[in-house]
Amino acid sequence: MIASALTLLTLGLAPDVQRPRGLEPSAPSDVVAPTEPTRSPDEPADATTEPADASTDASTDATAGDPPTPTDPDPAAVSEPAAESSPAESGETFRVVAGNGDGAPPYYTKADLDAVRRRHGLSPEPAPDPRKVRWRCLIADPLCGFTIEVQALGAFAPRFRQGDVRERSARRWSSGRAQYDVWVNLPVLTEARGRTRYTRMTLGPKAGAIFSDTGDTWGNLGIVGRYWLGRGRFAPAIEFTSALAFKIAHRRTDELAGSQPRYEMQRGPVGITADVGLSIGGYAALVFGGQYDSPLAREDVPERFRTQASGMLFVGLRGNILWGGPAATAVMAHGLTQRFGQAPR
Amino acid sequence: MALALVASLAWAGEGDAPGDGTPRKRNPGEYGPFFEAEAPSDSVHGEALQRGEKPVLSVGNGAFCFVDGSWCRASLLISAGVAAGMRIPASNAGPDVPYAQFSVHGGFVVRPLMYAGRTWHPWGLGVVGSWSRGTGSVTARGTSEDTQVRETTRTDATRIALHNQIWLSKKAHGFHLDLSAGVVRSAVLDSGRSLWGTHAEIGVGIGGWATLFAGGDFLDRDARVMLGMRAHGIGAGPLIALALAGMAIGGAL
Repeated sequence: MIASALTLLTLGLAPDVQRPRGLEPSAPSDVVAPTEPTRSPDEPADATTEPADASTDASTDATAGDPPTPTDPDPAAVSEPAAESSPAESGETFRVVAGNGDGAPPYYTKADLDAVRRRHGLSPEPAPDPRKVRWRCLIADPLCGFTIEVQALGAFAPRFRQGDVRERSARRWSSGRAQYDVWVNLPVLTEARGRTRYTRMTLGPKAGAIFSDTGDTWGNLGIVGRYWLGRGRFAPAIEFTSALAFKIAHRRTDELAGSQPRYEMQRGPVGITADVGLSIGGYAALVFGGQYDSPLAREDVPERFRTQASGMLFVGLRGNILWGGPAATAVMAHGLTQRFGQAPR
Repeated sequence: MALALVASLAWAGEGDAPGDGTPRKRNPGEYGPFFEAEAPSDSVHGEALQRGEKPVLSVGNGAFCFVDGSWCRASLLISAGVAAGMRIPASNAGPDVPYAQFSVHGGFVVRPLMYAGRTWHPWGLGVVGSWSRGTGSVTARGTSEDTQVRETTRTDATRIALHNQIWLSKKAHGFHLDLSAGVVRSAVLDSGRSLWGTHAEIGVGIGGWATLFAGGDFLDRDARVMLGMRAHGIGAGPLIALALAGMAIGGAL
């Protein structure tokens, strides 16, 4: 009882404070909420209502492009939002039968939307649905995002190896190159047309194996990028790769197709390979590139394990193995190079 | 393991459905840039490797996946790859020489807390094994006047490891960290004997399709460290088949 009396006393001595209207749970308002204008469905066509107060005028002017100007808040206008009932309370629906006619939002009708499309330089009709991708993105396409590819390369490859360092000479011979890689393509640059997202550029890791004459085999581990120059199925694209290349194996024979050549592991320092190509879709690309193998020539390595600097240039066809062309080219280049190619002795 | 426990605790607690009308999140208590789905109004690619929410090449709506994915509760791991690095013997056993290998890798991984009732959780735990064939060793012993140099033509290694995954994204082919620790059995230098050693590896996976990794095998007086990449068997298998076909045509088999 005493506590209740103290509480009443405290409330009675408290100063008058204007509370925010939003904090009053169900504060009755002295302002009568305006009723929405009623309109018969076949009433002609002005879906917009005349501006009713200064605040509406200000917003219309701002939409028309004039810089916004500060205005004194109208006490009546300030109190109106709290007094207006929510849409659920009004419960009134109406059907729009004509555009607003002044080119400003909101846009209701086809005429309004056509005007907006014209204003933004779009064609009168929305673009048709994008085409379907074949091979379920196993062959790269601008419509695809993340993709995985198996690529094969068959190429002609002039090779060279460092000769006598006292004479600054090099041994050169013609050979071939076959390369099989797995590419992981992550979209890093996209463009949107409507709700459709097109890939403009991909980057991602790649790894695989490289083969040349005399059983020379390298592993490679690097990065691949592709920049699409269009959005079609056969859109051209620029492909560029760079990778670490490291010797894995060698077919030790001085006379290919001779007696008992042995295919065995061989070590070598990490070198580098890089190429650039112009592709048609994700199907095939004309590729030009090069490779450099670092020498293993440290003093603490016994002489018979040392290797010379060497490398190659190559030009050939590379593409996705799924449609067969690049795979056949690579396998034939691989087989013929190993059967008939021969490094200088 | 400790990292996984911390991660699991970080996701504890269920939130309430938002009251502003936005769709209820699949895991309401999870927030962060990696785990937020794209807004419904965002543009989307027309096609993708994976259609819908069902993980690619899976059964039971992700109960078991043949290609690991962010929404898989159990997955088969099978891949092949290449790696390069250094072979570092004891200082008096021989010089450091380049090392390279090709390998096949397989295993099984589960997402324990997704079995425990959570719709999604980043932690995965499994067992993996691998076999590799690498370049041989070079040993040099003796005095400067009388040095005995020997080599081996190749180095085979077999590994078994405990595999921890931390998925960094809910996207179907999202990134994940892989940490493996286990044992390796391999020939040590030119001894001709296989010994047990320690194997450790850390990797970054892209879905179940590829993993970039850095790892090492640490044996008695013989260590190998390497950087490599392996790809899922769906990609690596055709690659190996083509390479073998080319070698066969070339008369190397």
